[in-house]
Amino acid sequence: MSTQHSKAAEVYLRKPRVAQHHDQTFYGVRQKRDRMAQNLPEWEDLREVANQIKKHTITHLVDYLEQFEQNATKNGVHVHWAKDAQEYNAIVFDILQRHQVKKVVKSKSMLTEECHLNENLERRGIEVVETDLGERILQMMKLAPSHIVMPALHVHREDIGDTFRRLIPNYKEIAEGYKTLNSQLSTLNSDDPTFLTYVARMHLRQQFMEADAGMTGANFGVAETGDVVVCTNEGNADMSTSIPKLHIVSMGIEKLLPNYAAVGVFQRLLARSGTGQETTVYTSHFRGPRPGGEMHIVLVDNGRSSILSNQEHWQTLKCMRCGACMNTCPVYRRSAGYSYTYFIPGPIGINLGMLRDSRQYSDNVSACSLCCSCDNVCPAKVDLSTQIYRWRQQLDSLGKADPMKKYMSAGMAFLFNRPQVYTCALRLSPMVNWLPGPLLQNSLNPWAYAHQMMKFPQKSFHQLWKEKKL
Amino acid sequence: MSSKEQIFSALRQHTRETYDMPDLAQLKPVTYADPVAEFKNKTTTTAGAKLIEISEGDDLNAVIRDRVVGGWPANPVIATNIIGIDAQLNPDTVATAQELERVDVGVVRGDIGVAENACIWVPQTMKERAICFASEHLVIVIDDNHIVNNMHEAYDLISRSSHYFVDYQFGTFISGPSKTADIEGALVYGAQAARAVTVVFVNRK
Repeated sequence: MSTQHSKAAEVYLRKPRVAQHHDQTFYGVRQKRDRMAQNLPEWEDLREVANQIKKHTITHLVDYLEQFEQNATKNGVHVHWAKDAQEYNAIVFDILQRHQVKKVVKSKSMLTEECHLNENLERRGIEVVETDLGERILQMMKLAPSHIVMPALHVHREDIGDTFRRLIPNYKEIAEGYKTLNSQLSTLNSDDPTFLTYVARMHLRQQFMEADAGMTGANFGVAETGDVVVCTNEGNADMSTSIPKLHIVSMGIEKLLPNYAAVGVFQRLLARSGTGQETTVYTSHFRGPRPGGEMHIVLVDNGRSSILSNQEHWQTLKCMRCGACMNTCPVYRRSAGYSYTYFIPGPIGINLGMLRDSRQYSDNVSACSLCCSCDNVCPAKVDLSTQIYRWRQQLDSLGKADPMKKYMSAGMAFLFNRPQVYTCALRLSPMVNWLPGPLLQNSLNPWAYAHQMMKFPQKSFHQLWKEKKL
Repeated sequence: MSSKEQIFSALRQHTRETYDMPDLAQLKPVTYADPVAEFKNKTTTTAGAKLIEISEGDDLNAVIRDRVVGGWPANPVIATNIIGIDAQLNPDTVATAQELERVDVGVVRGDIGVAENACIWVPQTMKERAICFASEHLVIVIDDNHIVNNMHEAYDLISRSSHYFVDYQFGTFISGPSKTADIEGALVYGAQAARAVTVVFVNRK
């Protein structure tokens, strides 16, 4: 009765200190989010308005996309349309090739992960440098993100230090530069986060200077003005686009908002929900190319338009990728990103994976205790846990139902449909308590797995009720 | 059929019921008894910036020399296109954005300050906006009559103004120095962009 998620989680939990640290770190973010929510009297109204804006925009997407394209084009931006990942990758490569780009600096974008852009470009000889610190660390270590907003929080400082020392060619020079500024640095091989962030800063600055193009994702697209809005704390999207002259935006078609009034609602929700901050440090509005530069926006469908027809799951399109559902999820916090088989973990990842390929990613639907906490923190009110419940109901039709659970369900159906047998079994159940421990505490009894076998009570609830002892 | 047409036809085919845009006027966002005090408070606490209050007409050069730079580094590279401020580099006249990489202190104007989160609207008013991000130390000069309560009011002002996105098609809200917590969750100022931000708050007479 194991899914790939539960097997991977079991391995993860063999290091209890690592698991506990992960749990506490993300619970800390969740608590910060709670404080943000409690400090705004209008918080629940904001969520409701965000929900309604998204429902409206997503069900009028053709109009808003048309308006967005017209405005962006008027602003001097080149707009491209990609129906799938393959077309998207080809468009980006074509733009880069026409500009003879050798190196691209890139700020974080889950869409480019979804389409495997980096591998694609690198295979064709273009160097891609991730500039979000967490993403850069993962790229150097050849690891995948474990969270969509804080992708490398599971990596230890010692491993980051090792990686920098191994892979940053001018590490020593940077470290010595730091030492002249901060004489208290005792060793050039320090793993102190402030020092390592400085090393990354100097390393990345060099990349910004050398790059021929900058790529960003989009937190929001504004139909009324043609703006692309990008929110970061590090300023890496801005560095990536204010130094190289070519800017390529990758944007899922569901990222649109009608106007600035709507952006106000989402800007206020995004950082508060995701990282427990009142705002990201930078909220940048890109409306057109830089002087002497070029700006391209690639609008990507890649399955989004068909999600719209799915009556039970279309509301996943409201997601703004803030990560709040992961931070609050007791299963995510205790099993971490790599236990999931889809590249986006947590409640939203379970659903997006099923929408991508329900056979391939069905292992993740077990990663939910149905506590519904995600539904209550989602700033756009995506009904995440309800959707996971629905997927579970469909497992049998996908041929993915657990045979043991099917067997148990059949047994229960037999029992519950025969009251006399049920009552008799109930009366006899305390006899199990007399069985010797090893007969129960073994691998054949899934009930006794990872916890003590329960003791059957002498009297059932039914009986106590009849005797008026409740 | 082009990809755009294919996407549109799929969207048309797959849209079932439609929903109305909510009335945003019904939302009652937070306001403050003293938005200016709240803005100053948020600037120096959550945003992690420094705040210097000056009076209209004060010598900005002296403020930058004595209170922002404070003698270190000894010969700072200052960049700005604000008339009257002594600077070695001007973002309007540099040949490339790369030249701004060596800037110690960049001085720009902010137009709207937001009390709820210390965001300052910095519209691009220079050829190379890299000054806003590449400078080690960013100085944002803002007047005391430009403070609003929340982001809704800020976006409303920007929407209704005809000043923005005219000469240059970019504007950004900045709230303090660049920060990251990507290494084990430890908060560090000075990730990729400005390592420090000073807000020069001009009290008008």
